[in-house]
Amino acid sequence: MAAAAAAAEASFAPPEHTGGAIDEFSYDDQIVRMFLWATLIWALVGFLAGVVLAFQLAMPALNFLPEIAFGRLRPLHTNAAIFAFAGNAIFCAVYYSTQRLCKTRMFSDKLSRLHFWQLIIVSAALTLPFGITQGKEYAELEWPIDLAIAVVWAGFFGVNFIGTLIRRRERHLYVAIWFYIASLVTVAILHIFNNIWIPVGIVDVIRTGELASFDNAMKSYPVYAGVQDAFMQWWYGHNAVACFLTTPFLGLMYYFLPKAADRPVFSYKLSIVHFWSLVFIYIWAGPHHLHYTALPEWAASLGMVFSLMLWMPSWGGMINGLLTLRGAWHKVAQDPVLKFFVVGITFYGMATFEGPMLSIKTVNSLSHYTDWTIAHVHAATLGWNGFMTFGMIYWRAPRLFQTGKLYSQKLASLHFWIGTIGILLYVISIYTAGITQGLMWRAFDETGALAFPKFIETVTQLMPFYWIRAIGGTMYLVATGIGVYNIFKTWRMKPPSYDVPVIRAARLGKVYDDGPAPKSRLNANVAIGHAGDRFMQGHRHRRWERMPIRFTVYVTVAVIFASLFEIIPTFLIRSNVPTIASVKPYTPLELAGRDIYIAEGCYNCHSQMIRPIFSETQRYGEYSKPGEFIYDRPFQWGSRRIGPDLAREGVLNPNAGWHYIHFEIPTECQAGSVMPSDKHLIHQDLHCAEIEARVHSMAMLGVPYGDAVTRSVEMAREQAADVAQQVHDNAPGYAIVDNLENKKVVALIAYLQRLGTDISKPAPDDAETEEGGAS
Amino acid sequence: MSDIMSHMDLAVWPTIGLVLFLIVFACMAGRVLLSKRPHNERMASLPLDDDEPAHQGRLTNREEPDVA
Repeated sequence: MAAAAAAAEASFAPPEHTGGAIDEFSYDDQIVRMFLWATLIWALVGFLAGVVLAFQLAMPALNFLPEIAFGRLRPLHTNAAIFAFAGNAIFCAVYYSTQRLCKTRMFSDKLSRLHFWQLIIVSAALTLPFGITQGKEYAELEWPIDLAIAVVWAGFFGVNFIGTLIRRRERHLYVAIWFYIASLVTVAILHIFNNIWIPVGIVDVIRTGELASFDNAMKSYPVYAGVQDAFMQWWYGHNAVACFLTTPFLGLMYYFLPKAADRPVFSYKLSIVHFWSLVFIYIWAGPHHLHYTALPEWAASLGMVFSLMLWMPSWGGMINGLLTLRGAWHKVAQDPVLKFFVVGITFYGMATFEGPMLSIKTVNSLSHYTDWTIAHVHAATLGWNGFMTFGMIYWRAPRLFQTGKLYSQKLASLHFWIGTIGILLYVISIYTAGITQGLMWRAFDETGALAFPKFIETVTQLMPFYWIRAIGGTMYLVATGIGVYNIFKTWRMKPPSYDVPVIRAARLGKVYDDGPAPKSRLNANVAIGHAGDRFMQGHRHRRWERMPIRFTVYVTVAVIFASLFEIIPTFLIRSNVPTIASVKPYTPLELAGRDIYIAEGCYNCHSQMIRPIFSETQRYGEYSKPGEFIYDRPFQWGSRRIGPDLAREGVLNPNAGWHYIHFEIPTECQAGSVMPSDKHLIHQDLHCAEIEARVHSMAMLGVPYGDAVTRSVEMAREQAADVAQQVHDNAPGYAIVDNLENKKVVALIAYLQRLGTDISKPAPDDAETEEGGAS
Repeated sequence: MSDIMSHMDLAVWPTIGLVLFLIVFACMAGRVLLSKRPHNERMASLPLDDDEPAHQGRLTNREEPDVA
């Protein structure tokens, strides 16, 4: 018996251990179960929001409530799918695998519970529908929630995770842990630096001792403006995809796929190449989201080059994953877990082939702003993130709930097949829609004029695809419902109380001797040659693998170096953003209108960036210049065009009456329009008292408002009266609301009338320039 | 600093990035190709032998709640 126990102990002691004491401990699986349920609940919420959005495009009448109209619901959908569903799935997997790979319980049970961040997710769900947003894609949450996220991520999760690594009983860190470290570090850096702002509410309180409104309390303006804000946002946006939806999932692929296939990863060497290549390359690739925009040419080229290089490690990782199943392909037919993994990894390969392809400028000129991008991200999230998550959950559920088996293998297979068909219906229809859209925008007739000059023609053409997409999305939601039911029934089979298995493992000795440092095998007498040969023997890297803090520091250095390489020139080179003398700050009323534009989520359907492409300048006018956006905080270039670009709306369509009618009943002005009605803006009062603090906040950021800071309310009222009069003049006979000059809609119309007009105005004389002030 | 950066020819920036990457990639690939087989095999097998308990049973008298 004693011999058996000794053998058992020996089997769990790392072969290299140096005689540390044997500890007994247990894993904290309760937190894993909590994150598992959170993953499933938010999957249903996030996917349901997506299905509603899909039907809203096919049936615009479904936008009957402002709180769930397309512009406000889309951020809720993306945040729920990325941060709530995928986020909880990551934490569920990280807590499960890290404890086992490190042979230790998490550093602190209390920190694990504090990290259970569902309150933050609920706060997002309670603010976004009410238009409380920063207006930057995937970074919409306002400043108080941003602060809470930073505390939870770095303070609770980060300390708990690193503390666990320090306390580990396994000397070497498995490659999955490396991916988790990279994700932890990079997401923290991205989140913090993309969310540097001035909170309007605090400015308000400091200046006046009181808050003008709850909206002001939640409102913030970024310290970056225009081109720089766009650059920072897509540095964040691209790498949020990389380090939230890719690297952690790769880490858990390297852990759970070998477990499910019951064989080690195909090539551990390849996994190391995969890791360091991704860490070094990914962070450079963000500018490919801004091709042909006002971003400098060198930055866009840099982003494209590094995006293309991502092909190598990404496909190396996919091949490594699929070849892990060598000799086990017969299991795939029977095991739903492996089915999910195989299709998930295949979608990873497809998405990481397509991503670099879309970053090639000529391809991007067709794909950008179209539904092609939407198809690309859904192939990745539904296929890669979704299926990897469900595969892991099906593998873990019988173990976590100690049932020995799933409630139903058949239901799991049904989930897989309905989900797969749903994804295919979704992506094939939307790929077709995106390419159709792109080709129609750039088509010319035999006379050299635009073949489809009315934007609406390119919208109505897509309707059949929108319907197919909605059906595909519904199938994916139904499949998820089947999965949740299956897991629920598995949970019902659990024992009355969970066993807590005892694990024994040797504590790491304080001294570790991994042999003498290697000697150079070269005969040459050049010092650098000897140093290179010693490096190539990998001795130093293996030491890093045993030093989590040093490893984390090196990953951080790689990420920060690559980021600064792009960010510093973007911020310092004056010629990147040539000043245009005629571009002046928004008036107080236009600023209020811009904030309404952001709150309504207009950027989800409309871009404000005319690319220097002939078909675009023909359709929208003069292409956008970097200097036009120096007062845009945040930038509103957008990333897709469900509706037309608005960068020159003030030039193309300054008619206040048209806008008023269009906001109330879009189809009155444009038959076939899918735009939601914004008639609530016609009835809601504009709070002029809010404006002063907002103008003051902008002035603190360096916007030359001059005496507009103190006269902002008066100036706003004057301009509102003027716009209201224009509406009456332009729409005679139309039923216009009483006291129009006090309604939100006039601010929004004033903003639209201003868009793109500065560039065609004469430059002010010197005296006026020095005085500053909004005009 | 702004003056210096403004006078730099940044067309070469992507090339510098590419060269830096190739240096890092070459070092890393060389290190991986020359790494020791027994070490890699042991690392690759880590996920497969990590959660079998020394024995089944209660760690303490406390039972974990079954709320989740």
